[in-house]
Amino acid sequence: MSARRPRDFWTWVLVAVLAILAVLLVWPLAGIFKASLTDNRSGAFTFANYVRVLTQPFFQTALTNTLIVGIGGMLGATLIGVPLAVLTTRFAISGRNFLSTVAALTLVSPPFIGAYAWIMMLGRNGFVRAAFEDIGIEIPSIYGFFGIILVFSLKFYPFVFLMTSAALRTINPTLEEAAVGLGAGPARRLFQVTLPLVTPAITSGALLTFVLSIADFGTPAIVGGRVRVLATTAFNLFTSEMGGNPGLASSVSALLIAVSAAVVVLQRWWAARRNVESALVRRPAPRRLGPLASLGAHAACYLIAFAGFLPSLVVVWTSFRKTSGPVFVPGFGVDSYAKILREVPQVIGNSAIYSLVAVALITVVGTLVGYILSRRQTRLSATLDAGLMIPYLVPGVVLGLAFTVAFNAWPLELTGTATIIVLMLFVRRLPYAVRSSATILRQIRGTIEEAAISLGASPARAFAKITLPLMVPGIVSGALMSFITAINELSSSLILYVGRTMTMPVRIYLSVLDGEFGTAAALSTILLAATGIAVYTVLHVSGRNESALA
Amino acid sequence: MARVDIEEVVKTYGNVRALDGVSLSIASGEFFTLLGPSGCGKTTLLRTIAGFNAHDGGHIRVDGTPIDDVAAHRRDMGLVYQDYAIFPHMTVSENVAFGLVTRRKPRAEIEERVRRVLDLVQLGPLADRLPQALSGGQQQRVALARAMVINPRILLMDEPLSNLDAKLRIELREDIRTLQRSLGITTIYVTHDQEEALVVSDRVCVMHQGRVHQVATPPEVYARPATLFVASFVGAMNLFADLAVDAAGNVTVAGVRLRVPALAGRTRATIGIRPEDVVLDGPDDGAPSLSFDAKVERASFAGRELLLRLTAADSTGLAANSYRPDPSAVPQPGQHARARLPLSRLHAFDPATGARIGTGA
Ligand SMILES: Nc1ncnc2c1ncn2[C@@H]1O[C@H](COP(=O)(O)OP(=O)(O)OP(=O)(O)O)[C@@H](O)[C@H]1O
Ligand SMILES: [Mg+2]
Repeated sequence: MSARRPRDFWTWVLVAVLAILAVLLVWPLAGIFKASLTDNRSGAFTFANYVRVLTQPFFQTALTNTLIVGIGGMLGATLIGVPLAVLTTRFAISGRNFLSTVAALTLVSPPFIGAYAWIMMLGRNGFVRAAFEDIGIEIPSIYGFFGIILVFSLKFYPFVFLMTSAALRTINPTLEEAAVGLGAGPARRLFQVTLPLVTPAITSGALLTFVLSIADFGTPAIVGGRVRVLATTAFNLFTSEMGGNPGLASSVSALLIAVSAAVVVLQRWWAARRNVESALVRRPAPRRLGPLASLGAHAACYLIAFAGFLPSLVVVWTSFRKTSGPVFVPGFGVDSYAKILREVPQVIGNSAIYSLVAVALITVVGTLVGYILSRRQTRLSATLDAGLMIPYLVPGVVLGLAFTVAFNAWPLELTGTATIIVLMLFVRRLPYAVRSSATILRQIRGTIEEAAISLGASPARAFAKITLPLMVPGIVSGALMSFITAINELSSSLILYVGRTMTMPVRIYLSVLDGEFGTAAALSTILLAATGIAVYTVLHVSGRNESALA
Repeated sequence: MARVDIEEVVKTYGNVRALDGVSLSIASGEFFTLLGPSGCGKTTLLRTIAGFNAHDGGHIRVDGTPIDDVAAHRRDMGLVYQDYAIFPHMTVSENVAFGLVTRRKPRAEIEERVRRVLDLVQLGPLADRLPQALSGGQQQRVALARAMVINPRILLMDEPLSNLDAKLRIELREDIRTLQRSLGITTIYVTHDQEEALVVSDRVCVMHQGRVHQVATPPEVYARPATLFVASFVGAMNLFADLAVDAAGNVTVAGVRLRVPALAGRTRATIGIRPEDVVLDGPDDGAPSLSFDAKVERASFAGRELLLRLTAADSTGLAANSYRPDPSAVPQPGQHARARLPLSRLHAFDPATGARIGTGA
C-alpha cells in the first residue's frame, strides 16, 4: 500500500476554514450554551435558567408571541405571494418583469426601514392616520401584532412569490389540460391540480419566511409596542441597565435557536422533496382575461407590489422634507442630509468600510469554500457544509450575544473594536458567497482544471488561471448579495457597537427610537441607494432573473 | 518516451472494485490501448496513471521509478479528454501555450513551439480564435496539440474521438497515429470502440469489470482471444456453451461428433468459431471439422459481405459471413446449406473460468 492523494493546497484551505468556523461560530455558541447552564453569581452548573424560561409567564408570553408573529408573517406572506404568483404566471398581466423587479427590491431593502416607514404612516402621529382622523375615521394604531405581521407579510412575500412562480412556470401544462379534459372547471383545476403540484415550493418559501420572521429583531423592536418576542427579550436581558442577566439571555437564545433549527430542518426536508416537476417541456401560455377581470387582476398585482415597496418610497420622500429642529415643516429640502453629514458622518464611513472589508473576506473565503464543497467531497468537507448551515439557524441577536461573551477576554479581546463587527458580518454572510460560488462551479466542467494540472500547473495555479476566471460572474453576484445583507445588518451590530463603531442601521434604529425621523430617513435613503445599485449590478452581471436574489 | 509498469493496482469506490488488481507493462514509445465495455474501469485506470485518482493498492512506475506519491502536476503526462476540456476563456494559441507558460519557457521558444504544433494539427490559421468558434473536431485537435506541445513522457487519451461523427473519427484517428509515430510518445489510449482499438494500437489491453483479460497485439487478440469475454467482445463469435466432453476428448455440436485434442482429460468445454470461419458448401479438404446441414433463416446482403443466420436440424443456431458474395446468388430463407466448422478454426474455453483452452490458429 502506498500513500494516497497527496495533501495539496485544498486540504490546507479546508483545514483553515474549519478552524475559522470553529473560532467564529462553534466557540461563541458553545459559550452561549455554557452561560445558559451557569448560575450568574456563583458560576455553578444549573438548569435554573431553563426552568425559569420554560415556566415563568414572562418568557412563556415571549415564546408565544414569537410563534404568533412567525406564523402570522408566514401566513401573510403566503396569502400575498401565492395569489400574486398565480396571477402573474397564469394570466396575461402586463409589466410582469417590472413586478418581479419590485418584489426583488422589496426583498433586499432592510426590514427595519419597512417598520419605521409604517410608523410614519400609521404610527401615533402618522400622516396617513392623521389624514384619516381629519375626515373622522379612526384607524387602529400600528403598534403591536398588527404592525409586526403587516411589516413581515409585505417584506417577506417576495420569497413565496418568487419561489412559487418559478415552480408554476415549470409545471407541465398537459397535466392541467388533462384536468380540463376530465371536466374540471377553472377553480377546481387550480385547487386540485395546480396548487398541489407547487405545494413543495410554497411550503419551502413559507417556512423560510417563518424562520426570518422569528429571527428578526428590528421590526418587533420598532413597531412591537408592548409585544415582546424572544429576540427582543434576549436583547433586553443582556443589555439591561441593571447589568444584564447573561444566564437568562443565553437560555432565551438557546430556545430561539431550537425553534429556528426545528423549522430550518423542516424546510430543508421539504426543499429536498422538491424538483418533482423540473423536467419542463413547454411553458403554459398565460390566459387572457375579460376586461373587468383583467382590471381587477392588474389592480391586485400592482397594489401588492406598491404596498411592499411603499416603505421605501415613504422613506425617500421623508428624507427630502424640510425640517426645523426635530420637526417637519412644509416644503422640501436637504436639511436632513446636511444634518447627518454634520452630526454623524462617521456612521456612513463605518458602514461602508465594515461591509466592504467583510465582503472582501467573504468573497475570498466563500469562493474557496464553494470550490471545496462542489469539487472535493470528503468527510471533512461534509462537516464544513453542515457548519455553514449554522448562520442560517442562528438569529443575529443570538450570535451578537455569543460574540460578546466569547470575545471579551484574552486571547481574543475584541469588545468595542471594528474587528468584531467585521468578523460578525463575515461569518453571518459567508453562506451567500459559498452558495453562489458552488452554483456557478456546477456549470464549469471539472476536466478543464485537470487538463491544466496535467499540463504542469499546480492545483492552486490551475484554480487561479483556469477555474477562477470562469467563476467571476458567480463570485460577483455572491459578493453583491453578501454586501447587500452586510450593509443592512442591524441586530448583531446593535449588540456589538460602541460609539466609535456605530453603523448606519444602528444609527437609524436609535434615531427612530428618539423620534428623529428626518435623520433616519436620510440615512435609510443612502442605504436604499447602495442596495439598489448593488441589486442592479447583480441582475446585470448574472444575467439571471430576480429569483437569483431569493 | 517512457516505460510504464503497473503492478497489482486496486481502486475501490465503496464496494465497487473499479480496478481489481491490474498489472500491465507498456513499452517505451508504444501505442497502447485500453479496450472494454462501459464501466469496466478504463477511465479509472487512466486517471490513476495521471494522478487524479488515489489508488488503494499496488504501484505505478515510470521508467522504473514509483510515481504513486508524485502529485499529478509533476507527472509530466499529457491528457486528452473525451469532452476536449479546452479552456473556454483562452484562444487556441493560449490554450496550446498553457503548459509551456507554466514551465516558464522563454517567450520566443513558446511562440515557436506553439506555431509548430498548430501547423502539425493543421490549426495554424485558427490560432487566435476562441474555442466557442471551433467545431468539435477542431477542438479535439487543440486538445491534442496542447497535450503534445509539452513533450510529455506519456500521452493519455480518454475516448478522444467518441464525440465526433464517424467520418471525422476515422480521419482523426489516422492523424493521431501518425503524429504519435513521428514523435514516438508512449501513448495510452482509451476506447470502447473495438475497431478503433484494433486499427491504431501496437498492443491492446482488453478489460472487463476492473480486470485485465488479455494484453496482446490486435491480430493476436482477434485470432487467439484469451477469454470467453474477449472472444465475444472483440469481433463476433458463435459460441456453443458448456458442452460435455467424453474421455477421448469428443464434443458434439448439432448432433455431429468431433475429437478436439486440446480437450483431452476435460469434462466440459465451450466451443466457439467466428462467423467468417464457417465454410458454406465449400469443397471438403478432408481436414478434421464439424460438418452438418443447416437451413438458412435470414440472409442479409451488405455489399462487401453476406451475413447469414442458419439453424441445424436440432435447432442449433449459427451465424456465418462470407466476403465478396455473388450478388446474383444470394441464398433465400428456407434454402439448405452444408456448414463446415474446421477444427483449426475452433476456439475452446473452460466454461467455469472462461479461460482459453486452445485450438485454432
Ligand atoms: N467517482 C466515482 N464514484 C463511485 N464510483 C465510480 C466513480 N468513478 C467510477 N466509478 C465506478 O467505477 C467503475 C469504473 O468506471 P470507469 O469510469 O473507469 O469506467 P469506464 O471503463 O471508463 O467506462 P466508460 O466507457 O463508460 O467511460 C464503474 O462501475 C463506475 O460506476
Ligand atoms: Mg470512461
